[in-house]
Amino acid sequence: IPIKPSGQKGTCANIAAGAVVCVESEIRGDVTIGPRTVVHPKARIIAEAGPIIIGEGNLIEEQALIINSYPENILPDTEGVEPKTMTIGINNVFEVGCVSQALKIGDNNVIESKADLGKNVILTSGCIVGACCQVNTCEVIPENTVIYGSNCMRRVQTERPQPQTLQLDFLMKILPNYHHMKKTVKGTSTPVRN
Amino acid sequence: MASLLQPDRVLYLVHGEKKIRSPLSTLYFCRYCSELRSLECVSHEVDSHYCPSCLENMPSAEAKLKKNRKRICNQLNENFRCANCFDCPCCMHTLSTRATNIPAPLPDDPSKTAMKKAYYLACGFCRWTSRDVGMADKSVASGGWQEPDNPHTQRINKLIEYYQQLAQREKLERDRKKLARRRPYMPLAFSQHTIHVVEKYGLGTRLQRQRPGAPITSLAGLSLKEGEDQKEINIEPAQALDEVEPLPEDCYTRPINLPEVTSLRQRLLQPDFQPAGASQLHPKHKHLLIKRSLRCRKCEHNLSKPEFNPTSIKFKIQLVAVSYIPEVRIMSIPNLRFQKECQVLLTLTNPVENITHVTLVGCEEGDPEDINSTAKVMVPTKELVLAGKDAAAEYDELAEPQDFQDDPDVVAFRKSNKIGFFIKVVPQREEDGDVTVSFKIRHDFRNLAAPIRPSEEGDAPAEAIWLTHHVELSLGPIIA
Repeated sequence: IPIKPSGQKGTCANIAAGAVVCVESEIRGDVTIGPRTVVHPKARIIAEAGPIIIGEGNLIEEQALIINSYPENILPDTEGVEPKTMTIGINNVFEVGCVSQALKIGDNNVIESKADLGKNVILTSGCIVGACCQVNTCEVIPENTVIYGSNCMRRVQTERPQPQTLQLDFLMKILPNYHHMKKTVKGTSTPVRN
Repeated sequence: MASLLQPDRVLYLVHGEKKIRSPLSTLYFCRYCSELRSLECVSHEVDSHYCPSCLENMPSAEAKLKKNRKRICNQLNENFRCANCFDCPCCMHTLSTRATNIPAPLPDDPSKTAMKKAYYLACGFCRWTSRDVGMADKSVASGGWQEPDNPHTQRINKLIEYYQQLAQREKLERDRKKLARRRPYMPLAFSQHTIHVVEKYGLGTRLQRQRPGAPITSLAGLSLKEGEDQKEINIEPAQALDEVEPLPEDCYTRPINLPEVTSLRQRLLQPDFQPAGASQLHPKHKHLLIKRSLRCRKCEHNLSKPEFNPTSIKFKIQLVAVSYIPEVRIMSIPNLRFQKECQVLLTLTNPVENITHVTLVGCEEGDPEDINSTAKVMVPTKELVLAGKDAAAEYDELAEPQDFQDDPDVVAFRKSNKIGFFIKVVPQREEDGDVTVSFKIRHDFRNLAAPIRPSEEGDAPAEAIWLTHHVELSLGPIIA
């Protein structure tokens, strides 16, 4: 099943055993993906300005874009810019077509379709960013917050969203039947820092 | 180029109480009066109520008589709200019922547990659940959810009964005075709709005519049968209190918990409780929507009557203007230049099945209807002939194409029931804003409605009358 490794040495993706990453997904830069994470085809994980560490049990659906990009006013060739690591916790769901540039995402969050998270937001745990909501405020979103509606109204819910274990199990069984997977490394991997 | 097909570029003038200019797709045509009608010159009536999510029907007449008259307050509630569906109190979306499996002890053997289904309400949009306000999960999928009781229900019921009696008494007195003057041929259904005297607890004549389903008129309709004794209902006047509950001591110092504060909209959608805290927001039953029918005010014929079934979008009666009046549409506009003659291509579509003859006439100087035009227009002087709409024409290969001998300077193309023709436009004003032209379109109309009096001598039923409409076109800005 595994076909080819991606990228060059030092900037290759470290995909833990047990993760299911389709070969049609685009993974660029120093990306670490934890076990039991599913990355659908046409998902894009791009580590431009620093590494991305993705935990376990995450679900990254089609056309989702997780990008660690340079801040707007800094050119890629500027010297002395510290690469910032983007950390994504466990059991998160990135639904179809969402864009996430947030540098820190906790656990059990759901980022719904076509949502747009900017560089300045930090998600804690149990947050739900509704469909088509654009959030780029300079703040830490408190736990269990739901952002919904065209005006990005907010409310707090009493229980966090459940981890999508059923869906993950299903996908881990079915996806390899129809897609080729990217090669995983054996054992645990530590992220390579530039 | 699709913007040229936008309906509001071509407006037809409606002669009613107000002169309304509106696209043909929004107008109705009363074929008994042979006139265009807009939404403002027809009376809107409620046909039936239905729930938009479960599509359950509830006809108005039945809804009024449904419950016991003693519980009038709840009756008005249940009239216009669905019994099965709920609205999210947070975002007003429709709530869906979800199930979880919980272990529950078996009734026979308390030591063993079996998985039982528990149902709760959840909103798919804002993720509100019924557990957020402390409502326990129910064991039945539907019918287990109750709205909390209003503590003031009894007092409100009593007040409504008292004022209902008062309204009845006043109506009887007024009817006695009006008896001599009441017109005998007006249908009974109408005496509820057109009330000419202001009711003391009503809303005024014009408002009553537009909303005949308002609660006060429906209260007046629920009358006691004639021989029943009218119980005198007395109400205690409301008592004013000197002392009011004091504010809590930490009113100014307690930090506000913003997610807990309800918004004005959430609060006012529950007028009986108006909770200030989000943990008291209980779901309400979903409001019903109405199907409405339209009636011409002059001849009292129905112009639009929808079908009874909420799942059907068809109409029993649908006298829309686009199926009777030829429609003018803009096809292409050249660059418009100030005081230079430009040629605009318009299309004219014939909606009926017989041949229609159309004459275009420019507006004269000082025409009171011509208030918006900013350009001179030269319309074709010859009569344009439109072929009838033939649904089978594209499949009928043997049919000879009809020869209309079109003047190529006037008619650009002809395609089944549509022709394209040229008009010449000379913009007269150099300012910003759209160039607007107007002209009159005169066409023959065959009235297929049954004549009121049977025609003697067996005339052909379709006699043509000539109708004239004032049309305004918005052609876009001048390009320098």
